[in-house]
Amino acid sequence: MAALELRSTFAKHLDVEALYKTDPPKFGHDMHKVFGFDPKYINLNHGSYGSLPLPVRAECDRLTSEIESSPDRFLRLIGINHLNEVRERIAKFIGANTDEIVIVNNASHGIGTILRNIEWHKGDIILGTTTTYGAVSQAIKYLADIPPNPDISTFNLQFPISHSEIIIAFREHIRKLTQRPDAQDYPERKTVAVIDSIVSNPGARLPWKEMVSICKEAGVWTVVDAAHSIGQEPNINLSEAQPDFWVSNCHKWLLSKRGCAVLYVPHRNQHIIKSPIPTPVTYLSPHDEDYHGPELFTKMFEWTGTIDFVPYFSVTAVFDFRKWIGGEEKIYEYCHNLALTGGKRLAQIMGTSVMDEDGELTYNMVNVELPIPGTIQPTSEIDALIKTRLLLDRNMYAAHFHHNGKWWTRCSTQIWNEISDFEALGEAFNDISLEVVKSAGNQHVTCTTDNRCIVS
Amino acid sequence: MSSESSSPAFGHAMRSYFGFDSDYINLNHGAFGAVPKPVVEAAHALTNRVESNPDYFMRLEYELLLDEGRARLAQLVGADVDECVLVPNVSNGINTVLRNFEWAEGDILVSASTTFDSIARAVENITGARPQVPHPGVSKFILDFPQSHATILASFREHLRAVKSQAPNNTIVALIDTIVSQPAILMPWKQMVKICKEEGVWSVIDGAHSLGQELNIGLSEADPDFWVGSCSKWMYTKRGCTLLYVPKRNQHIIKTTLPTAHSVLAASEDKPPTAFVMEFIYFGTVEAIPFLSIKAALDFRDSIGGEETINAYCHSLAKAGGRRLAEVMGTSMMVTDNEDELIANMVNVELPFPATIASTKAVFRVFQNRLLQDHKMYAGHFFHNGKWWTRACAQIYNEIGDFEKLGYALVAICNEIKEAEAR
Repeated sequence: MAALELRSTFAKHLDVEALYKTDPPKFGHDMHKVFGFDPKYINLNHGSYGSLPLPVRAECDRLTSEIESSPDRFLRLIGINHLNEVRERIAKFIGANTDEIVIVNNASHGIGTILRNIEWHKGDIILGTTTTYGAVSQAIKYLADIPPNPDISTFNLQFPISHSEIIIAFREHIRKLTQRPDAQDYPERKTVAVIDSIVSNPGARLPWKEMVSICKEAGVWTVVDAAHSIGQEPNINLSEAQPDFWVSNCHKWLLSKRGCAVLYVPHRNQHIIKSPIPTPVTYLSPHDEDYHGPELFTKMFEWTGTIDFVPYFSVTAVFDFRKWIGGEEKIYEYCHNLALTGGKRLAQIMGTSVMDEDGELTYNMVNVELPIPGTIQPTSEIDALIKTRLLLDRNMYAAHFHHNGKWWTRCSTQIWNEISDFEALGEAFNDISLEVVKSAGNQHVTCTTDNRCIVS
Repeated sequence: MSSESSSPAFGHAMRSYFGFDSDYINLNHGAFGAVPKPVVEAAHALTNRVESNPDYFMRLEYELLLDEGRARLAQLVGADVDECVLVPNVSNGINTVLRNFEWAEGDILVSASTTFDSIARAVENITGARPQVPHPGVSKFILDFPQSHATILASFREHLRAVKSQAPNNTIVALIDTIVSQPAILMPWKQMVKICKEEGVWSVIDGAHSLGQELNIGLSEADPDFWVGSCSKWMYTKRGCTLLYVPKRNQHIIKTTLPTAHSVLAASEDKPPTAFVMEFIYFGTVEAIPFLSIKAALDFRDSIGGEETINAYCHSLAKAGGRRLAEVMGTSMMVTDNEDELIANMVNVELPFPATIASTKAVFRVFQNRLLQDHKMYAGHFFHNGKWWTRACAQIYNEIGDFEKLGYALVAICNEIKEAEAR
């Protein structure tokens, strides 16, 4: 198929309409045809930066040309229709109303917007976890550092742990927070919990809907960092789950161009978001002479400064692509099952175990223990070593980190992966782990002739 | 450096380097910029690279490319590379600065009546914060044009002194444009920075229109406290790339990017010397292709003659075009005694439109839709200081005929609105 061979040239020459009349590639390595990867690159880390399908790239390039053909005409008259279509399709997808959805640059931006708009008072509590994403936990710390200096509470999450254990521990943590001795000093105390739907490191699914319920019962606000959810988590259904705020990156598992995320704010909470960041021209100030009330939530987010809007608009093409290759259920079935079988195979090759034996923590990301003694502490040197060995020497990648006393790899399973990818990764990690162990000078490890390291 | 024979002439011949529809006349470059084809192609090539191996690119290549772009910018603006970071746009840059200040009750933020509208809203949001959040009050410096630089400077100093007398022990921060947007006015910003220093006032400079339009920006010499300038207006990068300049002495003030990023250190942690630069490496946009388009943009500009050649053409066309526009419409250009004082590459010309017609959204929309849909062109249009004006931008792809056509189009639209109002 000549159209598909255009990997190294501009995808704008791709006739997407014609392409979609043909059969899609099969799940597995056949899917490489519709992505821009170097064909020999084994990508088991989709979860970090996402990946852009060629037909979506083609639409992005076409949009770029359209914008340049008359920037004022597009940005003033046409862009808004694209934006509204994107918002409508996303809303349907996640079970929300269109006017509860706006688009922002990325999840950190969305979470930051929410947290900065909340009117904090002394005595308020921001609740994060030990596995909260770095940028978000830094944002929380920053807000605690500036007046009016709300407090921080941190819920300890060490994996592996079952959903029922998490729910019990979380309920207890919330109970303790709401019954803190200083509660009487701050009768108007507001507690805001930032909850991941899917943790990044490790790549673990949380019982976030149950955690949201627990928070509701206790009068605690919920900000759900669902960066990894849209396109990975089935049946998101926000009008049922009813979080107070929810944010997800379209440029991860949904496959849009990078620089596009959903910010969901149900009607009842829209008054809290007084201004996007940065403040837009549409912001209405209560101090204005002719102030009749705030501007509409959705209107304020239409334009918050000049950016390349193409990533936002790429979402429409994404839904068309996902439909063509088989639809959400088929995509999830393939990726999820491969995550489970791939994780087990990886563990077999490395002589270790999958973090999550019964699959409760796994959608499409699987965490497997590395054959590196947990006593070896993570350093930037070890991180650099693993990174360069994987990327430069072996042309593959998966995330790697130290958590709860052990070393892990996190594999993102996508529609182009096959079990052989996990096998190749396993062989690679066996060698690399050996090297890490040697470089750390650990004396209590025996390594077998087929390069498996055993801690003694 | 290309010889005269190998670089194309400026004017309509340059349109081949841009993606405009063949029948579209762009006299509004200052609003959203226009991306030259070599820059679009460079961005495509970068996208190919990212997509061939996102982890390799983001973890091993991105920082080097980012630093390269920052270094080129630093050279252009006469600053140290460690004082130059990139943000998505001017709104983000200015909001980052203003929201990082540790305000105290009684502090004053001095804006102008000509402050760009979204920045003015940010000022309203910041100065209108609730009591639990220490925030400044606002003082507005009124600027009606035309007026000379000398007059601006005198009244600016007077204004600052008046503010100081009311808040003698407080922090005063002045928000100053290098080039006002609407009307388009080249400001004596360097002298205003000097005045700020003399009066003990902080200077936050909105240089949105400067990069690629103003020569010899010379930031280390001018020494403002903060300076923000768009790379995607006159400097030809992809949209979503702006310079935030913070001299080393002030970097401790910028505690967080907007939004807060991975490498931000909380107040209780130590701050190593390069923390400021580190803060801005991975924040916000994950896809930093716009940031990485600086090299292609500056290389292109060099290949067609460089900053001086480009701006000599645009400046002279702005004046000639403004004159022709005024001729066609039977009105006048906005000038002082010295034609070069207020005009860089943008010119304001009075519209043949009575001041009695109110500046409403409906009127704006008629101008916008007629220009874009019927006449296939665009230029700014607005009410200022008791008159109606158009603002036209002169670019390397424009010629005097463009200004002429704009004039005829505006006359027709003005007549249409006048007739409608008369009924």
